[in-house]
Order: sequence, then structure tokens, then C-alpha cells
Amino acid sequence: MAIVNLQNVTYRYPLTDESVLKNINLQVDEGEFLAVIGPNGSGKSTLCYTLAGFVPHFFKGEISGSVEVAGLESSASTLDEWVMNVGLAFQNPFNQISGAKFTVFEEIAFGLENIGVPREEMKPRVEDAMKLTGITDLADRSPYSLSGGQQQRVALTSILVMQPKVLVLDEPTSQLDPIGTREVFGVIRTLAEKGMTVILAEHKVEWIANFADRVIALHEGQIILDGLPGEVLTSDILLEKGFGISRYTSVARKARAIGLWKNSNLPVTLDEAVDGFKR
Amino acid sequence: MQERLSFYKKRESAVHRLNPLSKLTLALGIVFVSFLSPYYWTPHLLILFAVIPLSLLGKVLREYINAMLRLILPTAGFLFIMQALFQPLEGVELFRFGFLHPTQESVLFAFANATRIVVMVSSFTIFLLTTHPNELMTDLTRRGLPGQFAYVIISTLQIIPQMQAKAQTIIAAQRSRGLDTESTFFKRAGSLIPLVGPLVFGSLVEVEERAIAIEARGFTSTRVKTSLNSIPDTNKDKLIRWSLIVIIIVTLASRIWLS
Ligand SMILES: Nc1ncnc2c1ncn2[C@@H]1O[C@H](COP(=O)(O)OP(=O)(O)OP(=O)(O)O)[C@@H](O)[C@H]1O
Ligand SMILES: [Mg+2]
Repeated sequence: MAIVNLQNVTYRYPLTDESVLKNINLQVDEGEFLAVIGPNGSGKSTLCYTLAGFVPHFFKGEISGSVEVAGLESSASTLDEWVMNVGLAFQNPFNQISGAKFTVFEEIAFGLENIGVPREEMKPRVEDAMKLTGITDLADRSPYSLSGGQQQRVALTSILVMQPKVLVLDEPTSQLDPIGTREVFGVIRTLAEKGMTVILAEHKVEWIANFADRVIALHEGQIILDGLPGEVLTSDILLEKGFGISRYTSVARKARAIGLWKNSNLPVTLDEAVDGFKR
Repeated sequence: MQERLSFYKKRESAVHRLNPLSKLTLALGIVFVSFLSPYYWTPHLLILFAVIPLSLLGKVLREYINAMLRLILPTAGFLFIMQALFQPLEGVELFRFGFLHPTQESVLFAFANATRIVVMVSSFTIFLLTTHPNELMTDLTRRGLPGQFAYVIISTLQIIPQMQAKAQTIIAAQRSRGLDTESTFFKRAGSLIPLVGPLVFGSLVEVEERAIAIEARGFTSTRVKTSLNSIPDTNKDKLIRWSLIVIIIVTLASRIWLS
């Protein structure tokens, strides 16, 4: 069952002339883990905002086509309803801390307070969400005293606690160091395994190859590739259009040119590369 | 990590357990009485019989004395000297030094004013030491203060130290590219210009992101908000607030009739 359904979606930001999303058609099934790749300015963030309802409800601008996510229809619903159903987290962990709260526990409860969850329900929900993301021991710390990876996990928890049906993540690790990246991907994997529908804009292709069920490639606001990670991430088209690709893919491609790589498929991760060279 | 801009000291005490609004009324009540009472000894009595006992009861005496020595007394002392010397009132001249000729009246007047200042700052210091800003805002929001207003206050308390930290980072980055931040004042002032760009434009983008982030957590939801922590509001609190209101009215009335 498709939980996300975009039909011919075209979008233009206010006061601009060019469409940033062009004729997007996208279906995502419940429980699917979809990764979105694309060069800078290709529209990844804009697509994320569209899925989370911020385009057009927050950014305004001109949208055409139909957007349906988690049973909501963009033109017929308010941002308030979207927020209750679709979770959105993005790059900068620091900017996602509300600033309204002095401890991590309170920070995570902030969303629940805003949507009027009764107090008795709040504590168990916050505790469960913290357990899921492995930050129970941070409960009493100030959100500002944490590392980037910890802050990003707090931001994720703050969204998860609202029990969204779809989780949209816009490059959640782009500002983190390798340790923070690993922490955050650990959480994302747990969520995906629990059956959460995840849409992740990301440029770290090796992580995507390990996690995602499916990858789409955005280029100048259009979906130019859509398929399994192994196919999309090694496609020659990515090279032509200036996408970031895995160094293992590049090495194997060069090796193939001189006859050292004999597999029909190119690798994305280190393990795949090692396997391929062994043969 | 950066210090937060909050004076709050977490303790278990009768004062901490009071409702934040009661504490605010108490602090305001003490200030009103000290300023409105016509007697010069009122502020002294207030310090002795209200401020100090409250700081003891709230277990923040040490922090209070600290603030007193480092902030309150120096400020009040400075105000006293300025007023005593430069606000000549008619009366018995104490001495004459150049154009300065303080009178007994001006000294008394300055002293009374300085003690009032001491009472005012003291009573707010104790209020801030024993009241968590979050609790105050949650309570006031519950009583009808707009949520956006409370958010601005609290997030400012938190974000200012973060902005300072960021300015430090930018300064360090620019200095490593040869920015001069250590020579004469005017040179330094000029060299600050390259810092403004990243700080301001960085902030504008941040404001939008922050708006999206809190929006994503239902900040402007039309539902009735709830709060994680229940904030005590007992009959004792109501009694305290009403008594203070009566005391303020009585002081006001006596001020009007007695003068
Ligand atoms: N608020 C806005 N108003 C007008 N134009 C915008 C706005 N936000 C983004 N754009 C433009 O829309 C296009 C797509 O931007 P978007 O942020 O979606 O790209 P992206 O793929 O997320 O890029 P990046 O990898 O840098 O995050 C860009 O050309 C950008 O300049
Ligand atoms: Mg982006």
C-alpha cells in the first residue's frame, strides 16, 4: 500500500521564475526505506519539505499536481494535521533544538505539550522514544551541552515521540563527524527495522547502499533514476550528471576499463569491492 | 560548555515549592513597599525581616551574599556617591570642595535611594535564584500569557550564550585568516566588519530553520497545550498573593494620606 503518492508535482518558490520540482511522480510503500540522492540545488530539501507539508503550507509559492501522504491531501489539509502525521528532521542539529527547554527530557516533551497530549501519557511516551534512540542517559542534560550526534538523536527523538506515520530526513548527518554519523544511522536503521516508512535525502552513498530499499536520483528538480540501490548508485548516468559517487565504484570502474574487474555489477561499499576483487 | 543565562539554583526548599507567580508577587511586593513607604527605615527592615529570611528559607543565602558583594553593593555604593555629591539639595552644608557641596539632606536622600535599590535588586535576585524560568513561563502561559511571548523570553535566555560561542568561533576563524582583533580600539572596530556578515546572514537562515523545526513539533498547533510538569498552586499560594496585594494597597494608601 502506497503511503506516499505524488502525481505530476511541480513547485515554484515565491518570487522566483523557475520550478524547483518538475513533474515529480513518486509512490512509496508503507514500511519502505527510500533514499533520495542529488547534487547541490537539485531539489532534495524541497522534496522533503513537500512530503512534510511545509511546501506549500509554510513556504507558500505555487504548486500543481497532487500530493498525498499518510492519508492527507496537501490541498485539503493544514500544516497542523501534517505535523501530526509526518515527521521532519534536517541537517543542522543545533537549529532543531527548540531553545524553549533546559533538559533533554523536556525538549523531547515539547512537541507533546504543543499538541496537547495529557500529562500522564507524556512521560511514558518520552521514555519509550528515548529508549528507542538510545539516549535515555541524556535525559537530564542540557540539550546545548551535547555533541552534534547526540543533539541530532535528540532532534530525531523529539520527532519520533509524536508518532509520525512517515519520517522524512533531510541530510541528517551532513554536519556530523564520523562518530555522530554512525550514531544517527544506527537510529535510522532501528526505525526502519521496526517498519517505519523512512524517506532520507543523503549523499553518503555507502550508507545508503547498506540501508535503503530503493533510491531515487534527483537532477534539476526531476527524478532521473528510480530503482534498487545497487543499480542506481552505480549507474553511469550519475557520473555524467555530476553526482557524488562512492570511491569504490570509481575504483572498480577504472579497474573494469583495464580488465581487472570482471563482475557485471559495480560495487558501492568496501565489502562489495573486496568481494568483487577476490573473484 | 557555555553557561546558561539563568541564575536558578536547584534546591529543595519551601520557597522553591511556591508557585512562580506567588514568588513574583512577593518580589514585586517587597519592591513596591520599599519605594512607596515614606519612612527611611523601611528598606532596612525589609532587608532584615524579608529578604534575608527568604534567602535562608530558600537555601540560597550564600549565592545571595555573593551577588550582594559583587554586584548589588558596588552598584548601590556608586549610585549613593553620585547622588550625594551631584544632587545638591537645600540644607546644612557638610563640606565644600571645588564645585561640590553636599548637604546633609542630599546625603540622606541618596542613602535612602541606595537602600531602595539594594532592596529591589535583592528581592529579584532571590526570585531568580529560586524560580526556574521555564516554570515561571509555563505558569504564566497557563494563566493566559501568549505562548509565543514566553518562547521568545526563554529561547533568548538560552540562545544568547550560543550566539556568543558562535561569534567566538567566527572570530577565531577570521583571526586565523589574519584578522586583527588585538590592536587599538579603532583598528579593531574596523576589523569587526567581516564578522558581521556571517553572524547576521547565518542567523537569518537559522531563524527560518528554527521556525520550521518548532513548527514540525506543533508549536502553532491550535490544540490546547498541556505541560510536562505540574506547577504547584496551593491555597497557601493564593493566601500569599492576596496578602501581598492588600499590603501593597495599604502602603499606597498610607503614602497618599500621610504625605
Ligand atoms: N526558500 C527558497 N526560496 C527560493 N528558492 C529556494 C528556496 N530554497 C531553495 N531554493 C532554490 O531551490 C533549488 C533547490 O534547492 P534545495 O534546497 O531543494 O536543493 P538541495 O538538493 O536540498 O541542495 P543541497 O544539497 O544544497 O541541500 C535551489 O536552486 C535553491 O536555490
Ligand atoms: Mg538540501
